[in-house]
Amino acid sequence: MTMEATRSVNLRSAGTYVALILAAICTVFPFLLMVVVSLKPRGIGNIFQMLNLDGISLASYDKILGSADVWTWTFNSLVYSVVSVVLVLLFSSMAGYAFAKKRFPGKEAMFWTFLAMLMVPTQVTLIPLFILLSWFNGIDTYWGLIIPTVANAQSIFLMRQFIAGIPDELIEAARIDGAGEWRIFWQIILPQTGPIMATMGTFVFLWHWNDFLWPLLVAQSDATRTLTVGLASLQSEQVNTSEIMAGTTLSFVPTFIVFLLLQRFFVRSIMTSGLK
Amino acid sequence: MEAEPRLAAVLRALTSREARAGYAFVLPALVLFIIFRIGPTLAGLVLSFMEYRIGRSNFVGLQNFNRLFADPIFWESLRVTLTYVVISVPLTTVVALMMALLVNQPVRWQSFFRSAFFLPYVTSLIMAGIIWVAIYGPSGPINAIFALLGLPTANWLEQPGSVLPAIAVMSVWKNFGYSMMVLLSGLLAIPGEYYEAAEIDGASSWRKFTSITLPLLKPTLFFVVVIETIGAFQVFDAVYVMTNGGPVRASYTLVYMLYDQGFKFFNFGAASAVGVVLFVIILLISLVQRRFLSERAS
Repeated sequence: MTMEATRSVNLRSAGTYVALILAAICTVFPFLLMVVVSLKPRGIGNIFQMLNLDGISLASYDKILGSADVWTWTFNSLVYSVVSVVLVLLFSSMAGYAFAKKRFPGKEAMFWTFLAMLMVPTQVTLIPLFILLSWFNGIDTYWGLIIPTVANAQSIFLMRQFIAGIPDELIEAARIDGAGEWRIFWQIILPQTGPIMATMGTFVFLWHWNDFLWPLLVAQSDATRTLTVGLASLQSEQVNTSEIMAGTTLSFVPTFIVFLLLQRFFVRSIMTSGLK
Repeated sequence: MEAEPRLAAVLRALTSREARAGYAFVLPALVLFIIFRIGPTLAGLVLSFMEYRIGRSNFVGLQNFNRLFADPIFWESLRVTLTYVVISVPLTTVVALMMALLVNQPVRWQSFFRSAFFLPYVTSLIMAGIIWVAIYGPSGPINAIFALLGLPTANWLEQPGSVLPAIAVMSVWKNFGYSMMVLLSGLLAIPGEYYEAAEIDGASSWRKFTSITLPLLKPTLFFVVVIETIGAFQVFDAVYVMTNGGPVRASYTLVYMLYDQGFKFFNFGAASAVGVVLFVIILLISLVQRRFLSERAS
């Protein structure tokens, strides 16, 4: 390679690094601001002194965690997310198994009807769902919050794709050994679905942990209110910014843990299936 | 006399051991779908032709739509939503494409950068909105930097002219990581030989981008634009937490109107009519997408 060529390659890769680092700073800055504001109850003053360690204290965390509401909201968010994950994974793997491995009349029509529902924006169903829940006294209850969100076409679709790849011989062998339908599903199929369970579990957890409009409508009192709705209510009550930022920082902890542990699963599934 | 054996065959198919097991496994999902997705979707359409109040409800034909189309607030919210789509979708796509090209370069810490850019995507819009309210605030970092550079400062969320771009920039920060990953998968699918051949011919980087990368990335770009457009039409959470639709309805979107009509005024018929408008818009986008994809296939 000539010297000019080497120099231009070096310049280009230097440019790439500069662009990457600048973009990374812009991406991470809002997180940094959130944490710094939460640690400086008396305000951060000038933005250029943000990283100055004067006035750092955990007072805002003390205050926000001293309120019983925040603990209840966090607990409610956990119930909403974890119960939904378990139910979505169970029902969608069962349906995915039937769509992948069983023959029955109406199967294709049923499957494509499920998928077609993805084109309907959820906002269209909000009012009928709200009326339906109020008939059955489901407003402001856990089951009213959770059960309507469990019908998940994307999860059924991906489960079907995955389970279709499990060899039929495994199922046949179990059947010859005298295993019943449920045992075949529970002991042969489910143990094979680890990767898709991790992927879907991560997505469903994040969808529910971050969900806002549905809990805003259904979870009306502090007893069932989730963290996102609670934080939004603090924001509209103009609670001290530092305390709200302490709340948002805490609300991000479970998300961040899920992100660190399981990101390879969901990054791969976004890249292969465009799951959102 | 054909019908008898055919009916018997259908009955046999419906009640075979395999079919019964199939139905049993689909049953929970099917029941949930009928009660909580399919039923409410149909009910949403029906409600838009009804006046629904506690105690009395009756069909009113097109009255909800006539009122809606005569309401200047509806047209304003449609205009606000379209403006938001027109600002946020190209912005997110361009940023996501540039970032996908960057993280596709063979650099050190490549996977660290990819993860860092993806991080905002897993936040909630409530968290993102709360942080960005502070960023745009009178004493926030944007104004501090603008003042330093001698540029005009303002409370960006309280000016009708800047509120939608400000929300769009927040949503770019939150969402570009998703589109970046999808575009990256498109980039990785382009065979390396094409670039090698172009290099032998002495093609410049820009030439390679416009003649190889862009044409081959087109289907992926199209997918990303459709997904972003559908998402942008449904914008609500960010508006709720950042502006409440203000100032003076400058960020009053369609879903915000649906929420107001339904859950502030309990005018379920009018809210359902807004929902149907949103449904039609999103259906049209999905149909355009399918048309485009089948044209490519043929």
